[in-house]
Amino acid sequence: MAKNHTRYIFSMGELKRKDNSIAFSNEKGNFYIPIEDTRELYCLNEVSFNTKFLDFISRAGITLHLFNYHGNYSGTFYPKDALISGDLTIKQAYAYMQSRHEVAKNIVLAISKNIYETVYHYYRHDKKELKPYLDWLKSDVPKFLQKDISIEQIMFIEGQVWSRFYDSFKHFLPEDFVMNKRVKRPPDNPINALVSFGNTLLYTKTISQIYNTHLNQSISFLHSPREGRFSLSLDLSEAFKPIVVFKTIFDLVGRKQLQVTKHFDKSLNYALLNEEGKKIFIDAFETRINETFMHPRLKRKVSYKHCIKLDGYKLIKHILEDREFTPFSLKEKM
Amino acid sequence: MKKDTTNYNYVFLFYDIADEFSDVGKYRVAKVFKICKKYLKHHQKSIFRGSVTAANQIKLIDELKKVIDKELDFITIIKVLNSGSFSESTIGIKDKDSESIFI
Repeated sequence: MAKNHTRYIFSMGELKRKDNSIAFSNEKGNFYIPIEDTRELYCLNEVSFNTKFLDFISRAGITLHLFNYHGNYSGTFYPKDALISGDLTIKQAYAYMQSRHEVAKNIVLAISKNIYETVYHYYRHDKKELKPYLDWLKSDVPKFLQKDISIEQIMFIEGQVWSRFYDSFKHFLPEDFVMNKRVKRPPDNPINALVSFGNTLLYTKTISQIYNTHLNQSISFLHSPREGRFSLSLDLSEAFKPIVVFKTIFDLVGRKQLQVTKHFDKSLNYALLNEEGKKIFIDAFETRINETFMHPRLKRKVSYKHCIKLDGYKLIKHILEDREFTPFSLKEKM
Repeated sequence: MKKDTTNYNYVFLFYDIADEFSDVGKYRVAKVFKICKKYLKHHQKSIFRGSVTAANQIKLIDELKKVIDKELDFITIIKVLNSGSFSESTIGIKDKDSESIFI
């Protein structure tokens, strides 16, 4: 197993500082979490803690992600920002004014390229119905994006890429998981639930990675920075969605490791993963995001998670040195 | 002998602290436990394990050296390359899995 610095808390209890480490305690007793080996904590159940604990994990640089009962993201406890750069923030805002279109276009292009790689796998395995969509991704999308278009038009293309992608599920996923329409808040069928949960996990992972750079979380390029959340994280996670979230979903569903009747909450019309389903999904998600490969330029092994941070660095290079920002590409592995 | 330059990233730590004879011994057990749980996962009563970086291994050993009584106590650290380089079988009760990412 690759190195894993994340813990997911599924049981009820109390997180506390015990001596110089973390203890999770409930009626079963204490469970010790080594402070030096943890970077992220996810609370997916009722967990209580006090300021002493928060102060302690803040000093250790651990981010704490909180979720509500339905598995929706409710927020992050974020250690005191150690990497602050006023200079970069000003220039990031300036870059937003100057080259928002360019960056947004590159993000959409990266999404379509990574989706292409993901879907092509199924085309190669005799799902010829996918051809029109693949051709559209390969030739039409870059052509549209070359034109001088407004940010709304860029976002429209992004929407089209995604909705046609969801539409293509019917060709290679089992019938239970076909998506009729992407529905959020709350999702109303199994596949929507998986997509929402996966995107949320990726979003929180990206927040933790951006935290390790000097970037300002609220100035984004593709998404409108007015939304009341860390929208840069939405931007940077986009290119990784097909690779991390959707590949995990396709694998689990294709191999029948996740089944509608077994792993979804029946009382809510199968529109919510139950606890076992969540565990299966998170386990596969963690394995995938920690999967390593040879980085062609760095000449060493890196994980997808690390590549999110590298994308952050690329964006800094764009902001400070005006280098072109090209998000991670599955084909080029960088 | 040539110096061992291998990078070990996963360790098992076993300790025997002489706690039967005096109250001081009992305090030492608590101290050793305290230090170990900072870096490693608690596996069995006096056994810890987990992946730990080379730098943290040095820190861990230094901290342990400060609290133990070198005449009485006994700590073994077995180092392996990574968590994939050994196999494991368990007999009897196993009510908590210290390695699991879920709690």
